[in-house]
Amino acid sequence: MNIWERMLNIDRRWIFLSIGVVSIIPFLTKIGLPVSTTEEVEDIFTYIDSLGKENAIFISFDFDPGTQAENMPMGVAVMRHAFHNHVPVFLTAYTPLGHGMAGGALDYVTRPSTPGYYTSVDFDEWADIRNAGITDRDELEAAWEEAGNVLPDDSHGWVFEGRDFVYLGYAPLFHLVILGMTSSIETQYPSDAHDNPLSEMPILREHKSLREVDLAVTTSGSSACTAWVIYGREKIGLPVAFGVTAVSATDYYPYIQSGQIIGQMGGLRGAAEYEVLLQQNGITETTDKAFTGMDVQSADHLLIIFFIIMGNIAYFMGGFHRKKQLKGGR
Amino acid sequence: MYEIIGIWVGAFFTLAIYSFLYKENPVYRLAEHLVVGISLGYTMAITYDVVLKPRLIEPLLAGGSWILLIPALLGLLYITRFISSIAWLSRYPIAFVLGTGMGVGFPLTMKSNVLRQLEAAMIPFYQEGMPWHMVLGNVVLVLGTLAALIYFFFSKPHKGFFFGTGSRIGIWIIMLGFGATFGFTVMGRISLLIGRIQYLLGDWLHLIE
Repeated sequence: MNIWERMLNIDRRWIFLSIGVVSIIPFLTKIGLPVSTTEEVEDIFTYIDSLGKENAIFISFDFDPGTQAENMPMGVAVMRHAFHNHVPVFLTAYTPLGHGMAGGALDYVTRPSTPGYYTSVDFDEWADIRNAGITDRDELEAAWEEAGNVLPDDSHGWVFEGRDFVYLGYAPLFHLVILGMTSSIETQYPSDAHDNPLSEMPILREHKSLREVDLAVTTSGSSACTAWVIYGREKIGLPVAFGVTAVSATDYYPYIQSGQIIGQMGGLRGAAEYEVLLQQNGITETTDKAFTGMDVQSADHLLIIFFIIMGNIAYFMGGFHRKKQLKGGR
Repeated sequence: MYEIIGIWVGAFFTLAIYSFLYKENPVYRLAEHLVVGISLGYTMAITYDVVLKPRLIEPLLAGGSWILLIPALLGLLYITRFISSIAWLSRYPIAFVLGTGMGVGFPLTMKSNVLRQLEAAMIPFYQEGMPWHMVLGNVVLVLGTLAALIYFFFSKPHKGFFFGTGSRIGIWIIMLGFGATFGFTVMGRISLLIGRIQYLLGDWLHLIE
């Protein structure tokens, strides 16, 4: 067996090992390669940036833990952006496992150990202010602080459950739930995931159906994202943005071309771009997990390109393009 | 305390799954079976907690929502699949879901996935003031779509200028699409690995922030 045959019959475990090593080193050395932003991600950012407290968006966690590494940073980044601009957020999920993902994202953004977190105020905690008839976002915050509540120094701001966000979670046959929400959100979700009645929430009084919502961002690891286009966009003209896994990103570019979605975050790269835009526009001090992973992504891609080139060199130099089968039987 | 235990359990099963890369082993199989079992158990628990309990059981117990018995009964008919003599009853809820799903979804799906896409492909190559790269993009889009469609037209032999050349261009266009998809797939798989390494190095070992 000559060197070319040995190269083509290399034990694949060496390849796994080299990918593993190359994936760990950049985390420890922190190269910090720049990430440039693309138009399809900038379009989502610009759209959300133009919204305010009178608008509302849906962030739908339409993925399972299997694609959490790619989809979760997208949902987290968009949620941070919305919270920063006081845009009310509805959190939903297409699957039962996505229900936990939505809760996990909310927990991450409001957890004091997360850099740049938002301090969450539970629905019951501000009941007195609500009962006094104060529901306007600015007046609510002023009343809350007048009541003696102090924002922690490292917190980015208050987020009031029922005013700034509502965690709706999973509902079965979600595509029909989207359709139902075009008429009324409350009929599809009488209460939120924390058992709070939606009828008492200011966010629901101002945004009764999807017709009064300005955007749906679906973070999806499957074709679930298309349900928002089919039942939301086509039915009532709801603007939709995709955050999809890299594997399925190419499938959904036609929706950009046709103008059915306003933009798309593709894979970890798309999430990293959104994090960069948040940082460049002063919404967050630092980037987050997706950006951190991009050094590793680049290093791994270089290694894979190296393997592909070496494999082709060995294939042609060894004259295997003239043979029917390699000696190893591969 | 429970969080730390959870992190250690997560780290153990991550390594257990990755041990397959060396060779298949009992620890990997244990982790694989647990993933399936726990996912199903979690799904059942969530379904009970956020669907059955608030949308069926509680309204029924509160009284006055007797109409919910109809979908509840239809849902229960699914279970008859486990009893061969009355398994045919399960066809009714399946027929209901399929029928309503098709009826509701078909027009909107046609509009979204066929008509809109056709509309987006019927574009002028050039309009006044259009930059050259957009013109080139439009030409590639329209001709590429036509060429790929010719490749999938099997009622005529792929010979001659129109069908022969068209289908060959179509293959190239499709291959370019496959290449882009493969590139994204590699990126996606590496992203999942990155997620796990972040978990192991960060949450578990605290070597990174």
